Amino acid sequence: MSAGPSSLKHVESLANRLRRRQVCGSRQAALETLFVLQKVVSEARFSHIEELLDLVKSIGARLVKAQPKEHSVGNTVRKALHHIREEYNTAAAQNSKTKGPPQTGFSISNFLLTGQPKKHSSHPKSPAVEKLPSVDRMDANSEDFAEGLKPLLMDAMQDIVDELETVYDNVSKTAKDHIHSDEIILTIGKSRTVEAFLKSAAHHRKFTVIVAESGPSYTGHDMARNLSAAGISTFLVPDSSLHAIMSRVNKVILGAHAILANGGMFAMTGSLLAATAARVHSTPVVVCAGQFKLTPLWNLYHEYGALDFTDPSRVLGFDEGKLLENVEVLNPYYDYVNPELVHVYITNDGDHPPSSVYRLIKETYDDEDHELQTR
Amino acid sequence: MPPKANSGKAKAPAIEETEILQAILLADSFDKRFEPLTVTTPRCLLPVCNVTLLEWTFECLAAAGVDKVFVVARSHTDQIDAAIKESSWSKEDSGMEISIVKVPRETICLGDAMRDIYNRKLITSDFLLVHGDLVSNVRVDEVVNAFKKRFEASKDNIMTMLLKESGPEHRTRPRGDSSIFVVDPVTSECVYYDSVPGLPVKTHASIPRTVFEKHFELEIRNDLIDCGIDVCAFEVMSLFEDNFDWEHIRKDFLHGVLSSDILMKNIHCHIISDGYAARVRDTKSYDAISKDILSRWTFPMVPDDNMPGPSGGYALTRNLTYLSLSSPPLLARTAEVGPLALLGPRASVAADAKVVRSVLGPRCTVGAGAVVSDSYLWEGVVVEAGAVVESSILGKGVVVKKGSMVERGCLVGDGVVLGPEASLAEFSRVSRRGLRAEVADDEDEDEDDDDAVDFEEMEAAQTEDMRRQVGMESNGIIWPTQGSPEDDEDDEDDEDEDEETSNTFSNLRLGRIGDPGSDLELSDSGSNSDSDAYDSDASTKRKRRTSTSSLSSFTISSSCLNPAVSAVEREFRLEAHATLVRAFSDGHRVADCAAELKTLRLATNAPWRAMHEVVVRTVADEVKVLPAESGAAAQSKEIARVVVRWGPLISTIAGSEPVDTISILQEHCARSARLGLFGQMLASFYQNDIVEDDDISAWHKLPASNPDATNEISENMRKCWTVGGKLLEHLEADSESEDEDEDSE
Repeated sequence: MSAGPSSLKHVESLANRLRRRQVCGSRQAALETLFVLQKVVSEARFSHIEELLDLVKSIGARLVKAQPKEHSVGNTVRKALHHIREEYNTAAAQNSKTKGPPQTGFSISNFLLTGQPKKHSSHPKSPAVEKLPSVDRMDANSEDFAEGLKPLLMDAMQDIVDELETVYDNVSKTAKDHIHSDEIILTIGKSRTVEAFLKSAAHHRKFTVIVAESGPSYTGHDMARNLSAAGISTFLVPDSSLHAIMSRVNKVILGAHAILANGGMFAMTGSLLAATAARVHSTPVVVCAGQFKLTPLWNLYHEYGALDFTDPSRVLGFDEGKLLENVEVLNPYYDYVNPELVHVYITNDGDHPPSSVYRLIKETYDDEDHELQTR
Repeated sequence: MPPKANSGKAKAPAIEETEILQAILLADSFDKRFEPLTVTTPRCLLPVCNVTLLEWTFECLAAAGVDKVFVVARSHTDQIDAAIKESSWSKEDSGMEISIVKVPRETICLGDAMRDIYNRKLITSDFLLVHGDLVSNVRVDEVVNAFKKRFEASKDNIMTMLLKESGPEHRTRPRGDSSIFVVDPVTSECVYYDSVPGLPVKTHASIPRTVFEKHFELEIRNDLIDCGIDVCAFEVMSLFEDNFDWEHIRKDFLHGVLSSDILMKNIHCHIISDGYAARVRDTKSYDAISKDILSRWTFPMVPDDNMPGPSGGYALTRNLTYLSLSSPPLLARTAEVGPLALLGPRASVAADAKVVRSVLGPRCTVGAGAVVSDSYLWEGVVVEAGAVVESSILGKGVVVKKGSMVERGCLVGDGVVLGPEASLAEFSRVSRRGLRAEVADDEDEDEDDDDAVDFEEMEAAQTEDMRRQVGMESNGIIWPTQGSPEDDEDDEDDEDEDEETSNTFSNLRLGRIGDPGSDLELSDSGSNSDSDAYDSDASTKRKRRTSTSSLSSFTISSSCLNPAVSAVEREFRLEAHATLVRAFSDGHRVADCAAELKTLRLATNAPWRAMHEVVVRTVADEVKVLPAESGAAAQSKEIARVVVRWGPLISTIAGSEPVDTISILQEHCARSARLGLFGQMLASFYQNDIVEDDDISAWHKLPASNPDATNEISENMRKCWTVGGKLLEHLEADSESEDEDEDSE
């Protein structure tokens, strides 16, 4: 097993850019990761599928280590691993079918299952691993087999890219079912998913959006501008008035940075405030997010640093001078929102309540990939 | 978001095709502010938050996309070399090629280093010039791009400096050493530069008039932190080579280029308000930058994120406290850690100990009940039970024994043992006994270095009191206080970073850790008012930030330029006087003489009043004072001779200000031996129509003509005034009675 030198260079370059935050935003990071993985797979020389999986996994670990807070990187790697196994199983099944009789009962019938939601979770290990045919059986024609597999793998990667590129459209497909005429929608900050969702709904319905400006980044300003440019009646309000206007709001629509396995999520600062206020008024909280934000981790919020504290310059300017010596300014970029505060996640894979996110994760990724870094 | 195919194609060539960006990193600071810590370690390898300065700087360069770095090292080159080889930057995939350039020990300033590099022909293109003590998260690549665009527009745009906006009182802003930049806000061209030392107080900046003529709008700024990041064209090198006396990039190079009439080169500023960039210039900025890192100003270069170097990672916990992840520090349940603390791998804090606003290096131990505040403990420091360390830097392996007290501002060198019951005075500098031999062993070339500290002399000079201070079991020796006169002198010779004036002890104090500005006012009674003046002065300068139109900027210039203008004016007076004397003796025509004077005035841009004064005084001087026995008639004849001949000159020069003429005459007579002649001369002026009776009465009414003061000149002035008053009475009574006027004297 080896990775081509130029692909390694790309890995290193992406790792550095992630580390220095020159690549940020979950979708951007996911796309960049996929681009690197495509390079790696296309250049990799491997005699057995396990070698390729190990390689991809080690690269994933490298990227995740560079920037553990950009969860979509790890998720994309997991998804790629999942797809590689799937393709391999298909090919292997066909291969063994042409070469000889199926040896055990797992080949075709189980393959059919892998593409669909798994029916039972009691299986201790992912069936994918057990299904892998043993090395000696593949030995004779492994090189040819690997070469033959490559186009299939590349196709699989391309599928993930396509999915990422159409993610906004797919999430907003059902927008008109969620937003009704004359509703008042509250959102905070700028999320491209939410923006697409609202714009899509605006084709069918007339409704009003209230955007909280979301200090200290004030991305709400951009959001309000974009929405009103799309002809949606939009109000921009300060964050402090969130609770006061909540009684008039019909629905809170938020974006997410990462959705955890327990159904909680990391979202931009202010989300917790909005969700809690919504709770008080029993206003439904709807979260729009692509599937690539599903993260098979659940205890991240225990870590104090998980909120990603950024530099305090937006809260207290560098030119405040003397004051800085006497205060410690914290500027968290994310909020952790409990699963109890969210009513539904709208993904490109359908709508799910927080309590079933874990199922979604189980179907999207293979269990053994949850920990990329332990290898 | 571009589709994958696009991003793939755009990125791949970007990696291969970019022009190679070179950087020169000056690892030597050419000063001694960190001694005794820098006796055994070069400045660039001092740890800031447990990571060497070199690593911080490399990370900044790598983020800027630098491909090749030349590390210019003068002292401790082996250590720097080893550190670079060990670091991850020398690995194949780091994307940066690092080579070390050893310059000879005679290199005592930046200019020398630049000339050395030029002669080695290492730099082939545009380059980035940084100092080896930089901590920054600024996107330097943007500055590089801005520079390239300017350089393409004109080859004369040879340098772009990176400057950071900051508040007047920011802790990272060097108090002792700031600068005035005059910048054209439209083109961001830097048109004038002046350095502002903390003390002595600088109240004036002379900005050349030509600057205001060329630019419609200018900003005069004193609120910028000079990050020491410059993007230079190759030509900068050759300029240093051509001007062999240039030493500093700012004081000599920048000033030289901007004030030169022949070079015709432009230098630009890139002023940033986002991002963080600062240099560890002295122990005070060391303190400030460490705290800035811990308060996350350098994000994402913070301990729990993109920390450069082999840190092994830190976890952020409450109160901005960072704990090492690789081998977690041991904290007793009752230990109080934070706010703002960084605990390195295997550090331990015992029960009831307190660590506040401090950095503990790897394997540091803080004993029970000890207090460490605002201090920086490097690798392996042991602070035993009950000891107190305040605002100090303790070098590698320092042991502070039981019950010791390290007051603020102390610098303790590697391996020193203090105590037990030591009590270091404020701002002590302590090093280990016998360091001299080791330094000599380590670096042979140090032996003939005459600016090396004389350790033997210092050991001999240790007094009983000093021994008591460091404690009985100590191996430390206390260095002489920085303020002592011979040390000051020493510094002036050694520190090339500053000019002599900016290098006084008070100035160095502004850069010391734990030394607040107020301290100067408290302890140095003499500098009390100075400090105040400095503050208020600096703030007024800052207020001048507002951009000004060319018209109002002219007023700024003339008010700022007082000393310079008076010099010019003095010269004009001398010259004009000489012209007149020549005219008197050679008998020039009045018109010629007037033309000559007017030309002279225009050439030197002197005010009208100056010329007026010179003419009246010189004419008055031309009147010979005849001895009393020759009689009033002879004297008045003499006056008439001069006034009739040269009176028209006064009229030509000061035709519109006859009242001034009388005032000048009065003052001149009051100050010279011609006091008695005032009345006669005034009358003569009147007769020759130089002044009218209205002018005399106007003059007489002026309050300045009859001063209240009691000195001799004022008395003489009053006498003149009385005489003038009598003349006026006569004139009013009878315009025909000039003879009596003269008799009444």
